Amino acid sequence: MNVAVTPAMIGQVLVSGVLAGALYALVALGLALIFGVMRVINIAHGPLLMLGAYVTYFLYSQTGLNPFLAVPVAMVTLFVVGLLLQRTLVFRVVGAPELSSLLLTFGISIALVNLTQLAFTSNLRTIEYITGSWIVGGLALSKARTIAFVFAASLTALAFVFLRSTRLGKAIRATSQSREVAMVCGIDVGRIHLLTFGLASALAAAGGGLLAVIVAIQPEMGGVWTFKSFLVIVLGGAGNYPGALLGGMLLGLVEQLASLFLTTQLSEVVAYVLLVLVLLVRPSGLLGGRQT
Amino acid sequence: MTLKMLGALGLAVTVGLTSLPAAAQGPIRIGASLSLTGTYAEPGGYQAEGYKLCERDLNTKGGLLGRKVEMVVYDDQSQPATGVRLYEKLITEDKVDAVMGPYSSAISEAVANVTEKYKKVMVAPLAATTSIFKKGRKYAFMVISPAEVYLEGLVDIAAKRKLKTIAIINEDTLFPKASAQGTEELAKKAGLQVVFKESYPKGNQDFSGLLIKLKAANPDVLAAATYFDDAVALARQMKELDVNPKMTGVTVGGDLPKFQELLKQTAEGIYGASQWEGALPYPGAKEFFDTYVKEFKHEPSYHSAAGYAGCILYGEGVKKAGTLEADKVRDALLALKTRTMFGDYQVDRDGFQTAHKMVLLQWQEGKRVVVWPDDLANGKPRFPR
Repeated sequence: MNVAVTPAMIGQVLVSGVLAGALYALVALGLALIFGVMRVINIAHGPLLMLGAYVTYFLYSQTGLNPFLAVPVAMVTLFVVGLLLQRTLVFRVVGAPELSSLLLTFGISIALVNLTQLAFTSNLRTIEYITGSWIVGGLALSKARTIAFVFAASLTALAFVFLRSTRLGKAIRATSQSREVAMVCGIDVGRIHLLTFGLASALAAAGGGLLAVIVAIQPEMGGVWTFKSFLVIVLGGAGNYPGALLGGMLLGLVEQLASLFLTTQLSEVVAYVLLVLVLLVRPSGLLGGRQT
Repeated sequence: MTLKMLGALGLAVTVGLTSLPAAAQGPIRIGASLSLTGTYAEPGGYQAEGYKLCERDLNTKGGLLGRKVEMVVYDDQSQPATGVRLYEKLITEDKVDAVMGPYSSAISEAVANVTEKYKKVMVAPLAATTSIFKKGRKYAFMVISPAEVYLEGLVDIAAKRKLKTIAIINEDTLFPKASAQGTEELAKKAGLQVVFKESYPKGNQDFSGLLIKLKAANPDVLAAATYFDDAVALARQMKELDVNPKMTGVTVGGDLPKFQELLKQTAEGIYGASQWEGALPYPGAKEFFDTYVKEFKHEPSYHSAAGYAGCILYGEGVKKAGTLEADKVRDALLALKTRTMFGDYQVDRDGFQTAHKMVLLQWQEGKRVVVWPDDLANGKPRFPR
């Protein structure tokens, strides 16, 4: 019953892998930022992504706004939500043992998911804005996924430029390298933390908004994204920002190739086997941790 | 005075007359647990309404054995363990006269152990898994068609159109697995060649690898044993990856209005399987539909209809037996062969349903059209999708 794999099929999965990988990288970058700067593992990252998806969905369904234009609005909204979360809750666990931050963000995550269920029910929702695909050289390029890819890649690039070239970005990286030295240099570390959480939430929201155009959304959609993002930053090197990019692409490609050569059932297993291998052979991740 | 009022008057007189002996003897109490909260709350709620309407209709027709009927319904929170506890309570503490089945295969399977232990006949109207009825149980009765035949219509239409190849995919859980297996057997029997088979994990959202292989296998027909969420994701990604078999059918999901609401144009041409439709020409189906809408202010689903029919069938068994005694009612239900508003009913020696027919729907211009079987169809299948 097995289908012979042809080069065209491999080409098609590589395309799917790259399209998915860019989204993984975008979302994981947010998680990497928070971990790098605050040493907080943010379990609520996926639920924040889900909120971004809902903001995009409601802007589209209530006002008819182009969903891709709704994504920036979702990012701003979640930036504010991120600031509020950091200001009221998360700042309390920065510098505390990692278990505290795990518990706190786990709690936030449960609250967000259940509040969303309460407010909007757990019904599936879709944005049927753009469907079908472009056929390029025998490869089917899903319109929605391709546009989402372009957005994801641009946003990730922007985030990198911000981190690399702006004063604020440099301050974030400095804080990530050494909190104490950053403080001595006159960087307001508390403010940087605030900004980082806001920024990371905005990146998650961007991922969620783009995802809402591609797949059906529901309140529990975020959980798997927390885990995948975690996988990505461990693969790439925790706290290493370019590593998130590499890890994202790698995860996208590995999943897709595994579902082609093995089965859909096994593709997730393969991703986690890869994680175990990386941890065994190169525990600091492919690009090494915390070099910014 | 209008005809309607005359009818109402007649009804009132009948009720007045027949309720006299009923009051004297006390009501027949029928117990059940239903999933009123939790994961299955949606279908469980429909089933509860079906039971409620059945209670009312039985009573307006004079009750059973001259006694009024009273349903005692508890909430099992969609948990098999809670269901087991509630049936124990119903039978031993509340001492109900009879029981009806809960919602879902999983909970029916669990509580059937209790009802067997106390030798209570249980008509289980919303249990579709074959194995429940093939374990040597004596008192469990099945009403809906089993998982294995959900896509019989799809295979049948394909064979009649002389299509050659079929791909079968399924979510890797109990019901879809049984459904895929059944479809494969039906397909082989019909002379279709199975060219691709794969299962995917529960909650899967990304079908691209699977669909790329499926596209390469180039089947005429795609049979997908799904629940709702995966059916939606699959349909969307098929469109993205330009996968266009001549026929595409899904088990659960394709029958619900929500499927089309979510997918719009993408749902067009897809086949879905249903146990029942309000538009089917079964005796009393239209009346049931209309009364239901009037009573509950929304349309019934097949869960409502199956619940209603199951309860009516139990009543039928009691009437035939002339007693509530389990063994006599059991014999009556085993021998019963009838057509209700839900369709045909006949069971084999194990209480396993053999007569009820699934129907196949196709989404045509945003509407559900029954396209199979021929004698129940209200439209023709459209090709290619």
